[in-house]
Amino acid sequence: MSGRVNGLVSVARTRSLAPTGVVLVAGVLIVVIYGQQYTGSVFVLAACYAIVTAGMAVQIGFSQQIAFSQSVFMGVGAYGVAMLNAHFNMSVLVATPIVMVGAAIAALVLGSVVTRASGLALAVATLMLPLIAVGYVSNTGFLGGPVGAPLTGQLWPSSSTTTSLVGGGLVTVAFLAIVVFVCSRILTSDIGLELFVLGVDERTAAAMGVRTPRRKLELFVLGCVFAALGGAAYAGTQQFVPETLIDPTAELALLIMLFIGGRRSVIGAVVGALVIQYLQGASNWVSVNILVVEGLLLTVVLLVDPEGLAGIAHTVTGWLRARYGDRVPRRRAAAAAPAAAAPAAAEPVVLRLEPVIAGQGFSANEAARETSAAPLLECRGVNKEYGGLSVLDDVSLVLPDRGLFGLCGPNGAGKSTLLNVIGGSVPPSRGQVLLDGDDITRTPPHERFYLGISRTFQAVHLIKGRTVLDNVAVACLASHKSSILTRIGRSRLDQAREQAAETLNGLGMRHMRDREVSSLTLENQRLVELARALAPRPRLLLLDEPASGLSEQQRSRLADLLHAIGELTCVLLVEHDLDLVAQVSQRIFVLSSGRLVFDGGPDDFRASPVVNSLLVGL
Amino acid sequence: MKFGNLLIAGLVTGSIYAVFAVCVSVWYRVSNILNLAVGDFAMVGALGVDYVYRVKGLPLPVAIITTLAVVGVFAYAYDRVVLRLAQDGPRRMEGIVVTFFFTFALSFFIDGVAKMLFGTDVHAAPALWNGQALTWASLHFERAGLLVLGCAIIIGGAFWLYIRYTLGGKALEACGENVIGARIAGIDTRRYRWLIFVATAVIAAIFGIVESPITGYTYLSGATISLTGFLAAAYGGFRKPGRALLAGLFIGVLEALLGGYVSAEYGDTVLYAILAALVLAWPRGLGFESAVSG
Repeated sequence: MSGRVNGLVSVARTRSLAPTGVVLVAGVLIVVIYGQQYTGSVFVLAACYAIVTAGMAVQIGFSQQIAFSQSVFMGVGAYGVAMLNAHFNMSVLVATPIVMVGAAIAALVLGSVVTRASGLALAVATLMLPLIAVGYVSNTGFLGGPVGAPLTGQLWPSSSTTTSLVGGGLVTVAFLAIVVFVCSRILTSDIGLELFVLGVDERTAAAMGVRTPRRKLELFVLGCVFAALGGAAYAGTQQFVPETLIDPTAELALLIMLFIGGRRSVIGAVVGALVIQYLQGASNWVSVNILVVEGLLLTVVLLVDPEGLAGIAHTVTGWLRARYGDRVPRRRAAAAAPAAAAPAAAEPVVLRLEPVIAGQGFSANEAARETSAAPLLECRGVNKEYGGLSVLDDVSLVLPDRGLFGLCGPNGAGKSTLLNVIGGSVPPSRGQVLLDGDDITRTPPHERFYLGISRTFQAVHLIKGRTVLDNVAVACLASHKSSILTRIGRSRLDQAREQAAETLNGLGMRHMRDREVSSLTLENQRLVELARALAPRPRLLLLDEPASGLSEQQRSRLADLLHAIGELTCVLLVEHDLDLVAQVSQRIFVLSSGRLVFDGGPDDFRASPVVNSLLVGL
Repeated sequence: MKFGNLLIAGLVTGSIYAVFAVCVSVWYRVSNILNLAVGDFAMVGALGVDYVYRVKGLPLPVAIITTLAVVGVFAYAYDRVVLRLAQDGPRRMEGIVVTFFFTFALSFFIDGVAKMLFGTDVHAAPALWNGQALTWASLHFERAGLLVLGCAIIIGGAFWLYIRYTLGGKALEACGENVIGARIAGIDTRRYRWLIFVATAVIAAIFGIVESPITGYTYLSGATISLTGFLAAAYGGFRKPGRALLAGLFIGVLEALLGGYVSAEYGDTVLYAILAALVLAWPRGLGFESAVSG
């Protein structure tokens, strides 16, 4: 176990240090050798753009938060430095941090408004930023208007041109290396896993305890601050800020660099910026017809691999390894050996649920429980209407600390809506939801997760492209409360993976932990989802049709498991399979057209005429 | 009568936005791709006719037919080569790459080629209906504007009739709801994809030809038109052509009124700020697929 974890740690370290080292060494060499020539100046310009695109890889590519704010904040950085330099005669190196702080504050204010929107709404709302900015600058003559803003100072002030060129180049490379380091660290740390989930599906992320509003704001600020830094380096090295820097086309050009390089890869984004700038600098024809070249290049690269040049490079190295079998995979295999050594398939499936559920998880809340006399969960007169259509009508129910409770009803009765109201993803129109007697009606889903409410979804919501272990680890991250920046130093990914591994072992699922989730059978996918809901040791587990699509045999295995879980924690089970519900539940609620029409034990349930007429059709 | 004249001007620009928004949202229904190059086809229409008619000296009808034919054939070839590889290939692509970035690259490509062919100056197709502006009770109607409005009503109406009353229109709706379901029901979604793509490209080119005498086009004008069409389509929820049409008219009228009453310079800036505020305040109502969180 520890060998495996150590292996993971070292992999994570090399993954974030290797790109930084490559960027630093290659950058310094290029600047020192070509610094005074044309090639050097092209490279430095490209590095300025690469600072921006590296941030975009984290924000837009990896976390899929599409915000068109980079060109504007690049302008904030560049114009800010230009103004401080021209009007207050401040050196560029001093002005840069001041401008970055200013950009961070501006991004925080702006971001707290725009990041309330998700997906396309976020894209459309932020699309207005470049339009507003360029309209303002060119019409008012503010900041030099269409003429642009000149600087008197340089990034590296020196009387000799050689020193200032090379010095400025080296400072830019240093900026780029820092940005690449921070971005790679974020992607390989536990936050990276969180952001990946956020990018795939915001709702699942919130149900796993990811503080989505906060993460989205942090990503926005991160992207903006790096863009401002890129702008400051641009102003300092070019000594002139043209109006075209904040033009909407500049935003589009940045996106093209990102997508050609590889949207999810930090190093890919840097390479993308280098490729485009180099092509423009190397040939006059390309420079004049850059639109044709960018259009063709983007189309071809995306057709070959949607992950851009980084994706192509990944495929090629994978192919080379498979073909020539060099030493690298063997070393990786050695690191993974201790885990693989156990004969996985032969292992008998033993359920050891006590350590899984009764562990330390939410012990703080558990301690608070001892003194509280209120029931675990109480719904008081919950109503939900969608545009006048009543889905839930005055539903009240009480759940104690332990036990398994069934929730049945015909299609459209409001079962999933009730589950969503308890889970927090749907606010009720009227009524209250109480946990331990405290009103949590307005508490967002990720806060409820910390209070001990965990859930699964009707359709399987696993994170494709990640292993079973990582899927479960998402729900174990103890880092949810900290900010992105504090996690750069120390990642708790290994701790989370350890806790996830414990849960998987307890559920007898050890053998599938390193498999990619979409390669699993439906039964196992549902089990992984169950494991993910159990891993944070919830006090209330909401299960939405865990048995749908499973065979008779698989259902009976699931029934045993549910029964065992119900001994240790409180479960609310929504299910269509009445036999399964009657078999495992100690009490059953039946909803019909949004009203609670039955509430009783499994024996009454089987005998009840209401239930039979509604659900069995007798 | 300032208000009346502003309203007329707003309706004319609004009808242009509306047509582009309808083009974007109808094709999005079929293909799940946002056509960010729709404005570039308009630019090619305008500058292409100007090039063939003025520079090459061929008669106007020949110029128009040639340009439209080139646009149609190019759109068909693009679908056959690029979109077929992207959407029907062994690795079907999904998500933002295919939704935005192929047509985004196409837009860059068309603009670049237009720069090579037509240069960087402002040109326009010759006016199709010459003469003084028509005046009625101190309201002025530019002839070109009336032509644009007429075309918008005819094309918008034809689209509406097609979707509402023909089997083809119903099939088109089905493609947008569920591609696999539509295929199972025997609808060739790929055929609809190229059919609608070519049709909207040609319609866009026609609008470029009719509209360009009013504003004049350069090789970069396409991006601005695409953007406004995209915005209007976004406010119509992308999948609802009827709402996209109304959103386009609304944006056009709002733009004209802001330009006339608030400020000629800052009108657009205020317009964009209002549009951004609308998205943030009311995303669900405007039909954005995802809602505000938090």
